[in-house]
Amino acid sequence: MVKQQEVFGKRPLQILEKIRENLEKLNEKMEVMIEIQKTGKKDFSPLPESPLDVMTLLSMPDHLRKTAMTICRLGRATADEVAEQTRRARAVESGYLNQLVIMGYLKKERKGRKAYFYVEKENQG
Amino acid sequence: MIVLGAIIAVHSYKGGTGKTLISVNLAVSFLKHGRKVCLLDLDFRAPSLSSILKIDKAEYWLNDYLNGTCEIDKALIDISDRFNNEGKILVGLANPATEAIREISAKDRKWEMRALGRLLSLRNSLLSTMDFDYLIFDTSPGLQYSSINAIVSADLVVVASTLDTSDIEGTNRMLRELYDLFEKKTEIIMNKVLCDASSKSGRDEMQSKIKDIYEPPLLGVIPCYCDISRAGGTFIFAQEKPGHPFAKILDEIAAKIEKM
Repeated sequence: MVKQQEVFGKRPLQILEKIRENLEKLNEKMEVMIEIQKTGKKDFSPLPESPLDVMTLLSMPDHLRKTAMTICRLGRATADEVAEQTRRARAVESGYLNQLVIMGYLKKERKGRKAYFYVEKENQG
Repeated sequence: MIVLGAIIAVHSYKGGTGKTLISVNLAVSFLKHGRKVCLLDLDFRAPSLSSILKIDKAEYWLNDYLNGTCEIDKALIDISDRFNNEGKILVGLANPATEAIREISAKDRKWEMRALGRLLSLRNSLLSTMDFDYLIFDTSPGLQYSSINAIVSADLVVVASTLDTSDIEGTNRMLRELYDLFEKKTEIIMNKVLCDASSKSGRDEMQSKIKDIYEPPLLGVIPCYCDISRAGGTFIFAQEKPGHPFAKILDEIAAKIEKM
């Protein structure tokens, strides 16, 4: 208990950061669960890779198009960077980005604490 | 607000609305103001810039740039010495050979996705690194990959429309279902308008008539000039006939864009 208090006293920011990270992971898992419910599949896996071309962008719902276009412009970005451009909440963008990953349009790569989203352009066609 | 260093896509619903004529003359109008302009022919299905500028051969075409076989600087041709101006003008041409048109028409979605990436990266390579003031994309009409890729990459979409009923309906549909969806700043140029352009009352009547047709602000109204049809694309009005009303209207349009 004493030890915990010390930790809280010394590193409140780090602890908050850790909580945020864990909440993000939970959020991602929730997104997957929502997709599973939608598709009714138990052995859920992301949809096969699909090109993010302009016709696909056109047919997307408005909220996802905004996120997808931002990634197209930035090339590779974190949810924070996308949120800065779209002026929407970071958590909202994180949800949309993960949804686009599940749909097969974006790729996700973790580097340390950060998760980067990008359009896969190699090994195609 | 468009600061210096902007990408303008000239688009239309139907063909023959004057996109290329507007693109070329707009580029020259900017050039006359000392700007560094890059004009790119993205109408790969019906290339026309090579013919208007009388350039038969190019070491590299824009087709090569989009295919990833060359960088953009290789596909640009400097034609500044044709004009006696302070500014600079470079052009990128679409390959007019039938084989090249056939080849680019058969590209798949993955290729188009990569082509979008190559067009988006022009902002960095041409506007930031090579210091161009304006990039002008002359596009294919209607809803097709090359033109939508250009629209997505642009800061401003200039839509050329005529008073033809099907053109008006189609343009209005594109305003709602294309430009708005991509949140693009859109301005309309009414071209080939039949009216009495010589009198003020004639021009006012025409302006009020057009205001009821389109919601977005009008960037300009160009009357139907027989001189333009007669010239048949053999010369550039903004350069060779700067006193012609058409060249003056394009100068006004360029000035409006500069102020945006």
